[in-house]
Order: sequence, then structure tokens, then C-alpha cells
Amino acid sequence: MKTSRDFLSEVLRHWRVTPPADPNFRGAVWQRIDACVRETWPGYLRSHAVAWALVAVSTVGAAAYAGNAAARARIHADREALVTTYLVELDPRVQALLKP
Amino acid sequence: MKFFLRTVVLLGLAAAVVGFFCYRMGSDKALHAAATKRDTMEWLRTDFHLSEAQFAAVKKLHAEYAPSCEEHCRHIQSARKALAAAGATDATALASAGQKLQELRSSCELAMTRHVRQVAAVMSPEDGRRYLEMVFPKIANFDHTVAPDLHFDQAR
Repeated sequence: MKTSRDFLSEVLRHWRVTPPADPNFRGAVWQRIDACVRETWPGYLRSHAVAWALVAVSTVGAAAYAGNAAARARIHADREALVTTYLVELDPRVQALLKP
Repeated sequence: MKFFLRTVVLLGLAAAVVGFFCYRMGSDKALHAAATKRDTMEWLRTDFHLSEAQFAAVKKLHAEYAPSCEEHCRHIQSARKALAAAGATDATALASAGQKLQELRSSCELAMTRHVRQVAAVMSPEDGRRYLEMVFPKIANFDHTVAPDLHFDQAR
């Protein structure tokens, strides 16, 4: 007695696919290969303009902010050091502790 | 992939250049030079936009203040020695020496406050206010029992 599995195997064994030949297939493949080889950097950027523009704006913006924040931090640190030095020179209470 | 990496590298370089440029533009070279040299007079001149006349007046005030600062310093040192000499046995002498030291410190703080107010008065109103905002908290928060650690406001 044949089971449905045997029947399926029998069908698959005799199954042949005969697709219609595409006369442009080879040409189309070479065309795509040529397009990849000939693609330029500006062309790549143009084709991804929106994404790269967003990345560029956010990256450069973040760099500008970070640079400015670092400058502000240095100004703050310099000023703190100077105020402290200034008051050490000015404060007899500190001088009394520092002098032998 | 080649173009992707090339674009990432280009953006990275652009970001580094922009960041460095903003850092240089935002930093205060004169202030940094004064901090490096620990030149507080130069700091006062540049950070508080003093004219030549204002700067000369501030220097004069500091020169006038210096002897009284020295004198106060000597008195405080004498009072500290007296306090140490009083020891723990003579409670009356100890209390008296402690009281004297406290009075001297208060008098110093008063003299210094008067001096910084005079310096602020020489500056423009805006710079004078900023100057007082910077120095007053540190004068007030000074803890007399510890050596200065260059962070007066954190001294405990």
C-alpha cells in the first residue's frame, strides 16, 4: 500500500522544470556588474544623500558642542585655580598656616 | 562598502576639525596663560577687563593691603602659638587664647572683605559683581582648622 509520502516522492522524482530561456539574462548580469564597477563616490553619496546628510549634521553638531564644552570646562578650571591662588595670596589666615 | 568607509572616515575628520576649531574659538588663551603662570594680577586685568588706569588702581590697592595682610598673618601665628602654649591644663588661658585667635580671624576676614570690595569698586559694575561672586563664597567657606588644599569651598 502506497502512502502519501511515497506518492509525493514519486511526483518529485518525475518533476522537471523547463523555464523559458531569458535571452537578456547574461547581458543584464554584465550590465549590473558594470554599473557597480563604474559607480563613483559622489554618485554613491548622491544616491544616499538624505541619510548621509543627517549623519553629517548630527556628527559635526556633536563635535562642535563637545569642543565648546571642553573649552568652557577649561575656562572654569583655570578660573577656579586662579581664584584660589589669588585668595591664598590675600588671606592672612591661609598665610599663617603656610608660613613656618 | 568602500564608499561607506571612505565617507565615515571623511566625516570623522570633519568632526575632529570642527571640534578642535570650536575648542580653540571657545577657549580663553589669556586666562589660560595667567593660570599657567599663576599670575593673579594678569588674571584680574584680563578676566575683568581692566583698563590701564583701573589696573594701576587695583595694583595700588593690593600694595596697600599687603602690609596689613602680613601683620594679620603674624598676629594669627602668635595667637596660634599662644593657644598651643596654653595647653589643655589651664582652661582659662586656653579659652582666652582661643577667643583671641577667633577675634583675629574675624578681623582678618573683615579686612579682606573690605579690600575685595574696594577692588570690586574699581572695576565696572558688571565685572565687580562677578568678581565678588567669585571670591566671597571662598572667603566665607574657608575652614580655619585645615591647611588650604586649593579647594576652599570643599575644605571641611
